[in-house]
This record gives sequence, C-alpha cells and structure tokens, in this order.
Amino acid sequence: MADLDVKEEPRDDRRAGVDSYRGGGYNNKRRRDDDNDHYSRDRGRGPQRRRHDEGLPRRRYEEPPFPKLRRLLLNIASSTKLPQDEAIEIAKIFGENFDDERLRSDFFDVWVQLIIEQPFKIPFVAAVALYGNEVKPEIAIEAMKRIGVRAQEALNAGEWKEFKLLLRFFACLQPLYQDEGVFTLLGQLFDTVVDLQSANENDVVGIELVKIILLTIPYAIVSGGTRFHEQAQQLLKNTGIVAGNMVPIEGLIHSYVGDEEQKPMGYHSVIGLLQAQLSNEAENGFELACLPRFEADALQRTVEKTEDDSLPTAPETHAFPTFNIPSPVNPGARPVFPEAYFSLFADQETGTVPKTTDVASSLIRDAIVDTINQLDFNREIVAKYLVDLDCYWHLGTFAKRGTAFDKFRDAIGDKLQYKSEDMVIDAIFSQLFKLPSAEHKLVYHHSLITQCCKVAPAAIAPSLGRAIRTVYKSLPMLDLELGYRFLDWFSHHLSNFEFRWRWTEWLDNLELSNLHPQKAFILAALDKEIRLSFAKRIRSTLPEPMHAMIPERLDADNSPDFKYDNKAETPYAAEGQTLLSQLRKKATAEEIQVTIDSIHEKALEAGITEVLVPSTDAFVTAICRLGAKSLSHVLSCIERGKDRLLEISQNETARRQIVASVVNYWKDQPGVAVRIIDILLNYTILAPMTVVQWVFGSHMGAGEALTESWVFEMVSNTVAKVTNRNRQIASARLQKGLPQEQIDMVEATLTKDRDNARELFKYIEDSTRGVEEGSADGLIEKQSSGELTEEEAMLIRAWGKRWHTVFIRKAQVEESVVGEEAVEARIKLLAAEPDVPEAMEEGNGVAAATNGEAQMSEF
Amino acid sequence: MPAIRSTVDRLDKPSSYATAKKRRRERHRENDEPNREPSPEPEDKLKDATTLYVGNLSFYTTEEQIHELFSKCGEIKRLVMGLDRFQKTPCGFCFVEYYTHQDALDCMKYIGGTKLDERVIRTDLDEGFAEGRQYGRGKSGGQVRDEYRDEFDPGRGGYGKAYAEEYEQGR
Repeated sequence: MADLDVKEEPRDDRRAGVDSYRGGGYNNKRRRDDDNDHYSRDRGRGPQRRRHDEGLPRRRYEEPPFPKLRRLLLNIASSTKLPQDEAIEIAKIFGENFDDERLRSDFFDVWVQLIIEQPFKIPFVAAVALYGNEVKPEIAIEAMKRIGVRAQEALNAGEWKEFKLLLRFFACLQPLYQDEGVFTLLGQLFDTVVDLQSANENDVVGIELVKIILLTIPYAIVSGGTRFHEQAQQLLKNTGIVAGNMVPIEGLIHSYVGDEEQKPMGYHSVIGLLQAQLSNEAENGFELACLPRFEADALQRTVEKTEDDSLPTAPETHAFPTFNIPSPVNPGARPVFPEAYFSLFADQETGTVPKTTDVASSLIRDAIVDTINQLDFNREIVAKYLVDLDCYWHLGTFAKRGTAFDKFRDAIGDKLQYKSEDMVIDAIFSQLFKLPSAEHKLVYHHSLITQCCKVAPAAIAPSLGRAIRTVYKSLPMLDLELGYRFLDWFSHHLSNFEFRWRWTEWLDNLELSNLHPQKAFILAALDKEIRLSFAKRIRSTLPEPMHAMIPERLDADNSPDFKYDNKAETPYAAEGQTLLSQLRKKATAEEIQVTIDSIHEKALEAGITEVLVPSTDAFVTAICRLGAKSLSHVLSCIERGKDRLLEISQNETARRQIVASVVNYWKDQPGVAVRIIDILLNYTILAPMTVVQWVFGSHMGAGEALTESWVFEMVSNTVAKVTNRNRQIASARLQKGLPQEQIDMVEATLTKDRDNARELFKYIEDSTRGVEEGSADGLIEKQSSGELTEEEAMLIRAWGKRWHTVFIRKAQVEESVVGEEAVEARIKLLAAEPDVPEAMEEGNGVAAATNGEAQMSEF
Repeated sequence: MPAIRSTVDRLDKPSSYATAKKRRRERHRENDEPNREPSPEPEDKLKDATTLYVGNLSFYTTEEQIHELFSKCGEIKRLVMGLDRFQKTPCGFCFVEYYTHQDALDCMKYIGGTKLDERVIRTDLDEGFAEGRQYGRGKSGGQVRDEYRDEFDPGRGGYGKAYAEEYEQGR
C-alpha cells in the first residue's frame, strides 16, 4: 500500500503554506492573460505543475488522505486505469480513514456534489460504495444516509434533475438492499403520478416523474441483475399509459413544421421513446449494453491473493432508506414542460448514433445533457468530459475516437458501436434546439461548441460540419425560432473561427428567391457576421460570386445618407436639414417647434391629413443621423429629444412613424435599427404594440417582411420584454407573507399587463394566420396583380405558418407560467408550504425572478 | 454555512488578480495578527456585481459589435468604452453593465475567453463603473499594457508606445 500514499507524479499540486488536511486542492489557479489565447491550451488534465517546482529536487511527498481521496474520486474513470480498480483503491483508503469524522463528512460532500455535477460518474461513485460495503459496511450505510438526505431535499423542493441523479446512485446500489430496494420507491413515485394525473389530465409534473422512473430502471437492472426483471416489467406496464399519452402543450414543441412525411424526423416525446425502448429491452432480456459494469467479486479476488486463509463472506445487505413523497408534490421553481427528443443524426444509414429504438440513445443523451446543464459554469471542463465520453460507458460502446465518417462502417465492422463526436454534437444541438426554451442561455451552447472544437478540432469539426449541413437542409421545415437560434449560433460560431465556412457548397442556392428559407438564411447570416465584424472583412471570407451580396457602400466608415440632404427628391429637405443642425446645436424646444410647424404647414398644403407623420419622420431621421456614430451617440440624442418624442408618442400613427424612420435610416444595417427600437421601448417612447403594428401593418407588404430575420428578431425582442416583465410581476406575487395591500397592487398590475400581453399575442397571431391562410390583403393583392408567382406566394404562406406556430407557442407558454390558472395553482402551493427559513425563501424568489435561469444558490 | 465546493472550478469567479490579493492579505494577517477579526472581503463587493470589465479589445472594435455579442447574455444597461486619456479614442477595453448579477455571471461563463473581432477577450467582474475609469492609465494615454509590448499587435496600435517612441527617436 505504501506506494499508494506517495505521490510523485507531475500531478503534484502541493502548495506551500496550505494546511495539511486540505492539501493543495484541485487546480485553483486560473490564468488570466490578455495577450495569449490560453484557452486553447490543454486544460483540465489535472492540476498543473507549480512553477516553483521547476529546478528544485523532487522530494517524496505524502499527500494527506482527504485531498487524495477527493482527487481520486473526482478523476475516477478518466484515465487508462480500470475504473473498477480505482473504485476498490478509493474504498480501501476511505476504509482506513473512516474513523476520521471530519474526513468522512467532507468526503461524502464530495460524493453528493460529484453525483449532482458529473452524472457520467454516478455508476463509478456507486461502485466505490459497493466495494466499500465489503471493506467496511459503514461506508455503504453512511453513503446511503448522506445521499438519501440530499435526495429527500431535492424531492421536497421539486428539483427534479437532482433527484433523478441522486436516485440513480441508489439504483446502482441495488444488490446491497435486503428487499426490492429502489423499485419500492419507483412504485411509490408511480402512485404519485397516478394521483397527479387523475387530479389534472394535463399535468406535466407526472410526466417528469415518469421520466425519472424510466431513466432509473436501467441502472437498477444492470447492478441488481436478473432477479429484478420481473419488477421492472411490471413497472413498465404501469408507466405505458402515461408515457404514451400526449398533453396539449406537446403539440407546440415540435421541432419541425409542415407535412409529416417530409419532416426529417417525426415527433417523439422523451418518455414515449424511453417507454418503447425499455419495452424492447425487456423482450430481449434487458441487455442494456452501454452501461458500465462492475464485477461483484473483484475485491474478494484481490483479498484472496494476499490473505489466502480468510474465507469469502457474502457482502452485508441493508434496508433501503425510506423516502417521503410530499403531498402536494412541489412542482419546483422552474416551469416544467414535456420534452421532445431531437436528433440530427439518428436513424440514418451510417448509424453513427444509436437508433431511436435503441435505449442507448436515451441513456447516453440523458447523461450528456445533464453534464452540459449541470456544469454550465465551466465549459472548458464540460468540453473535456464530452470529448472523453467513451471513458464513462461500457467498453466497446463507442468506435475509436475521431473515426472518420466515411470510414465509420468499415471501422466498426459488424459491431454495434457509436461515433462519440456525433453523439456529443447531437446532444448539444438538442439543447440549443430545446423548446420552449433551453435551460441555460443559448450563448452557453455556442461557447461550448467552440470549446469542443478547440479541445478536439480534428474529431469534432467534421461532425459539426455535417450537423450544419443537416440543419441547413431542414430549414424550410424547421421551427422558425429554432431557425433563428441556428442563425445566431452559426454566425457567432464562425466569428470565433476566422469566419471560415465553405460557402461554395451553397452557391447554387444564391439563385433561389430571397423568399426561400435557405436564401433568407444566407442573407441573414451575412448580416449577423457583419454585425460581429465589419463588411469588408466578411466580404474577404466569401467566394467571389457572393461579394456583390455585401454592397461596397457598407465599407465606408461614414454614416448612412441623410435623405434630407437630397433637396431635389426629398420633401421638407430644408426643414430636415434645419432640424439636424438645431439638434446639433442643442436648440430650444421653441426653436425646433418653428421648424416642425413649417413642415406641418407644407404638409397641409400638400393635402396630408396626419401632418405629424412627415414632421416625425424628419425629427427622428435627424436624431438617427446625429447619433449615427455609435449607440452612445444615438442614446444621448434620444435623451435630448425625449420630451418631444414622448409627446409624439401620444399619436399612434406618428408613433409608428418613429419605428419606420429608424428602420428606414438604418435599412442597410438593420441590427442597429433593432437596438435603437429596443432603446425607444425602454423609454416608453414606443409601446410593444407600436412595434408589432408597424411590422404587421406597415412593413409587412405581401408578407415578404416575414422572411427577414431582423424582423423576427425585433418582434421576438419586443415580446420577450413584455413576457419577462409579466414573469417578474408573477414571481413578485408569489412571495410568501405579502401584506394584503401589496397583493392587491401586484394583482392589479398583473391583470392589466397580462391582458396587454394577450392583446399583443393575438395581434401577431391574427396577422400571421392571415398570411398562412393566404387571406392577408397584401398577399392577395400582389398575387392577383401577378407581382408574385404562385410559388412565391406559397413560400410566403409557409413563412406565415412558421411565424404563427412560434407565437402560438410563446403565448401558451406564458399562459402556463403567468396565466390565472397557473398563478392560482402556485399560490395554493405557497399556502400549503410550511414556513421555511428566510434564506431558502429568498433563494426561491431569486430563481423565479431570473426567469428560467439556473438556480445558483446551491453551489 | 460555507458554500459547498464544486467538483470543478467556476469560470464566473473574479480573476486571480482579486483573489490573489485577498489571499496575500489573509496570509499576511495570519502571520502578524492571528487573532484579528477578518475585515470585509473584497469579493463581497463583487457578490452583486452587474458590471464587467472587458479587456483585450481591438482599438477598432465598435460599441455596436460589443452590444451584438454581449447582449447574448442579457439586456445591456450601459456600455462605457475605454478611451485614450489624451486622444479620446478607444484604447482596447470597456465596461459592460447588465441589469442583473446573473447576467454578469453568465457573461463570465459564456463570453469571457471567446473571440470578438477575432481577438480572445477577457472579462472580469467589476465593482461598478465610476467616472474617470474610462480613461487609460498608461503614460501615453492608453492602457498600461500597451506601453511596453515588444510584439506587434495591429489591433492595438502596433508596438508598445514606449518602444515606438524610442524607435521614432532613433531614426
């Protein structure tokens, strides 16, 4: 054993002056260096050697037990060592130090944390407990106790993912229980599902529980063995009805829109798929080939070698801990939605990822997705774990890393193996494309993909390229919101890799009408790339035939033309110029009014009834021109004209003109217009409805506007502003112990704002439905005048359908979060909750207020 | 109760600059006055921080570009460009202020260390912008780091200013 206590590896992370109990810790050092791209270095491969080690003679160093145990456990299954041997080693060292109370407690904290943060490692942590049971049964007893406490807390709080992961640990200990073990609890959970579903047929928490049950069974069977097949089958019979059921909101989370047969992939709910896959497994004797296995007698064999005389004894078994399922069930802080299974690569000929009938698809996906979402605070580590995916599953589950796609079939022969890079990319895209919303900000997934490309460029990049081509091909059917997410990711991704993309393969599509989703994507991608860079640079990254798509006027560093400079063609040119110089010189309101009046007079003479329209145009365009240098400039110009703008906003027609003027001035750089509109909304110079009415009333045309991605961006931003606010108000209502007076106030605000949001959604839905059905005036007009071909009209109508789908979904999602029924239900739960200590309540409030962001308070 | 330590490092902690300073101070204190009450930690000031310092920008990167990237982490409340003290031109850093602390943390996690305008940028939690901090503190008006750089960085004014002057004089 002596050699185990000595550490002379380059992993050495000793640190002078650190107390001997904690040791050096796990690479706390973070390098920050402005000049170097340090992120490209291979990080996360264990602690780096300290600089002061160099040149000094190595001394043998006894690593204290706790840091050693921590290090071994955190790195389990990550090296070339056999994980089983690592588990035994950890169990033995832990056994030797088990009497150290502080060590014991701290080490179990590490277990809990590892289970929650690194789902890949759960079976291996459980293996430590399995072998630990033989070393010292107290290890297993105490582990169950400690992890049981945390699991119960998660259950009480409705932290479903954590509960699922902690429960998986118990499932992996199935052979240690005296009775049916984890199946007893799964049975109780199912009873709860029945209660929930009979109380409310559209219940979604029950769906989440069924998912947990189904994802726990495989781990329990692999560890527990054939004697539990019976229970599993019984449970599967029960879950079948729930898993096969569809709740109404599921109809809105489909990834593709349109004809069922043409979709790249039909809709599968995660639990529906799991149910089918497990039933399949049940028929084939629960092979569950991808899950890692441990030999029950591995420890015995090592003992026999050294102490021949001792007789092997059967490991001790224990009672399964009792869990208390709260009633009513706490649905948790985050809104729960059913989940769709999304895959870009599934069920294709080459079979690089498991078929959707193969349970491996769900099991591996689930663990990858949880790893991604639980460790969002360190994308560098996540990327490393994802690239190391093959370490954490049964040997032989994956083909050799980096096996090329075109050689894949030859490489695996007749074995059933998967391409780990494809599974990783598939899983990240499933999160980027999660509807109704991803767990973390979308940009996390952007930077995670970037990181994966840096860690293993040769292996990941080709998979990513195929993913891009697959999504691009599916654009005409892809949900519009997902199409926008793809666009935003794609342009951001390229900006991290010198804007390199093989545009030549899409050159044929340049011939397409701008109304075609693929052409619209290319146009939008170029705009987004320019926003992150500049026109000339982007042009230099494109093949020659695409150069004309970025007009040279965008190269010049100067501001867009001020139309009032053109005296011959622009009415009110003199007044426009005067306004500009007056704004520049900070003229008084009275002076400006004189110019405005002059426009009004001329407009009246020209027979214009709404004279505020031309004057607003001149005023707002002058603001844009004066503020063209940067967003700060335009901000201070708006500030300068604020009073007049607010006055203008009293007239709805003139108010809409504000949007029109901004967009018109920035027509070549719509990104700037979108930002300015956002600022104007914050000033309440514009109302959300103004923006939406301008889009669908003034800008829509025959519906061509729906193909412009910046229009979608502008409408989505506007809607998000409204819904975020409503969610904040709703969560303010859900504070415990509010005085009645405040409750009344919050409820009045919520009622009013909820109605406003509904009105906004209804306007969008009606307008887009008109296009979808081909009944919108603009569309009919241009169609009958022959300005639009039949084909073009059909393209526009398809855009209408895709817009409509998105906003129907958004509206219903909001109903399920801030609608009367949803809020009432939450208020009831709040009342049923026992009074909790201050700190916890605060945590809940914050989680609700940040609106779908991860709850940070645990970490 | 102390926060439970994560199994991996967090990218949303303040930089080693702030933590190293804190650690130095603690060690110092332990040696000198082992019984003294700990003074408020500098990290406490950052615990609700909504502002980020953003470094290693190109001088040519515009507000719009910064907005485009940083608004992926949440709505931006204020953006202050770092300026050369004398020229009043961008000198390669800025402050981004969000409405929420969470957005600032997310920015640390998801945007720090990625590229903007083809340069790897760095983000650091900041206690908040104060008037005057937008100016470079280097001798020639820009950031100190641009005074003594001996490799050529076209995005940040070529060679370090101190060397550039020497070079000019030598001619």
